[in-house]
Amino acid sequence: MMIGHIEKNLKILGELVMLSKDFFYCMFTRPFYWGRLFEQIIQLGVGSLSITIVIGIVTGLVMTLQFGYGLAKFGGTLYVPAIVSLSLMRELAPIFTSLLIAGRIGSGISAEIGAMNVTQQIDAIRALGTNPIRVLVVPRVLSTVLALPLLTTLSAFMGIIGGFSIAYAEFAMPPGFYINKVLSTVQFTDVFGAMFKTAFFGFNIAIIACYRGFQTKEGTKGVGEATTWVVVTTSIIILVSDFFLSKLLILLFD
Amino acid sequence: MTENILEVKNLVKRFDEKVVHRDISFFLKTGETIGLLGNSGTGKSVLLRSLIGLEQIEGGEILFHQQRIDHLSEQQLYPIRTKISYSFQNAALFDSISVYENIAYPLFEHSRLTEDEIKVKVRNILKTVNLEQAIDLMPSDLSGGMQKRVGLARSMVLSPEIMLYDEPTAGLDPVNIEMVLDIMNRFKKQGLSGILVTHDIPAAKKICDRILILKDGMIGFTGTVEEFENSKDPFVQSFLGQ
Ligand SMILES: Nc1ncnc2c1ncn2[C@@H]1O[C@H](COP(=O)(O)OP(=O)(O)OP(=O)(O)O)[C@@H](O)[C@H]1O
Ligand SMILES: [Mg+2]
Repeated sequence: MMIGHIEKNLKILGELVMLSKDFFYCMFTRPFYWGRLFEQIIQLGVGSLSITIVIGIVTGLVMTLQFGYGLAKFGGTLYVPAIVSLSLMRELAPIFTSLLIAGRIGSGISAEIGAMNVTQQIDAIRALGTNPIRVLVVPRVLSTVLALPLLTTLSAFMGIIGGFSIAYAEFAMPPGFYINKVLSTVQFTDVFGAMFKTAFFGFNIAIIACYRGFQTKEGTKGVGEATTWVVVTTSIIILVSDFFLSKLLILLFD
Repeated sequence: MTENILEVKNLVKRFDEKVVHRDISFFLKTGETIGLLGNSGTGKSVLLRSLIGLEQIEGGEILFHQQRIDHLSEQQLYPIRTKISYSFQNAALFDSISVYENIAYPLFEHSRLTEDEIKVKVRNILKTVNLEQAIDLMPSDLSGGMQKRVGLARSMVLSPEIMLYDEPTAGLDPVNIEMVLDIMNRFKKQGLSGILVTHDIPAAKKICDRILILKDGMIGFTGTVEEFENSKDPFVQSFLGQ
């Protein structure tokens, strides 16, 4: 029972490594589908803009509110801009945006590829002499890897703006002070770290979603199961690997 | 003597425990069309899919122009699949793109034609399947029979050497059956080869030179259309009676 479970997961891991290998092979060999890549960036990236902005602002608002009142008891309101901006940039924006994208894009990719698989469209791609990894996986993985770090940065930026408005409206913090504090706290390495982490998360989300899509067999029910599995699995991977990546980034840059 | 454009020797195909093909051997001569019959579930579609490597086989050999293709990698099979084309039983159209884009897809991938030349070519082939007016529709806007004809057009647009037709006439009305048979006949007259999987015996008689019948994972009957029609074997006659 236990052994069987481990064996199954090791098999999945092995197949994921193979798919990743094929992905890199196809990414660096011709033909490369620029059109499909742009299409995916628009669909995945631009389609997630508004929700990313909303999440960013709301997180910034509520963080500033909580820390503003929480720290006021100890006379620490002055530290609010630093705390809010740093935690947004380093953790909250990367995690929230990635989880959101795992739900929105991960499930979308696995449902789309899964449905194509059960209706033999993947076989049709192969039968027409083309490589489904080149046609489907490369544009989806690449666009997620490119879009997620940018969305995260945008989300953090919007959060900082949200924090700014609450700091001013609720705690009467001078705008110049807030901006100065943020600029002196958030370093380039923080932005880089967030982009690095989310690029890693993006790769995981998209490749796992594609993998599960290709594995989908049992018709409509299979498609539903695939999306659920992808969202749960990638969310766990994001949260667990975030700890280790954060540790690594702290070792490197702090 | 014409050469065997395709030859299958002792093919074995299993899905885990389930054996679909135990021992299949046959050949296809250049320019001929053979009919592949068999009851539902005997593995006709699986056989066609195995021929172009969409399914892995567990044993035997597949030769195309005397060259083995059964052990080729997926990468090496891509060019082969532009020469041996499979038209899916369920059409398998890409449902997120239009009819035009579906048929243009293999042309964009494998030909050096310009977009204008591709447009002309797609229009022409749609004309032959009597679906000119559907060029800008989405696959979901088409009936099953129309989808089937688009699928047929898509699989023929690269002018392959061998066509594998998986029940091309199933689900079509008599007028369109005639039209599809006409297309297949024209394809044949150009000297091209084909394997026709069908339950439609009159159609098979009209198009095919020889008939193969699958039975219990083996070839249960093989012979010319004449031999097929005059066979005294009750198994063969059960097909004629349909
Ligand atoms: N991917 C698969 N996994 C397991 N079994 C399969 C798979 N594909 C086909 N089979 C089995 O192989 C057998 C042959 O299927 P196939 O689709 O080739 O039949 P067929 O002769 O084309 O039937 P029909 O005339 O109904 O189209 C069936 O019993 C089917 O259940
Ligand atoms: Mg079939």
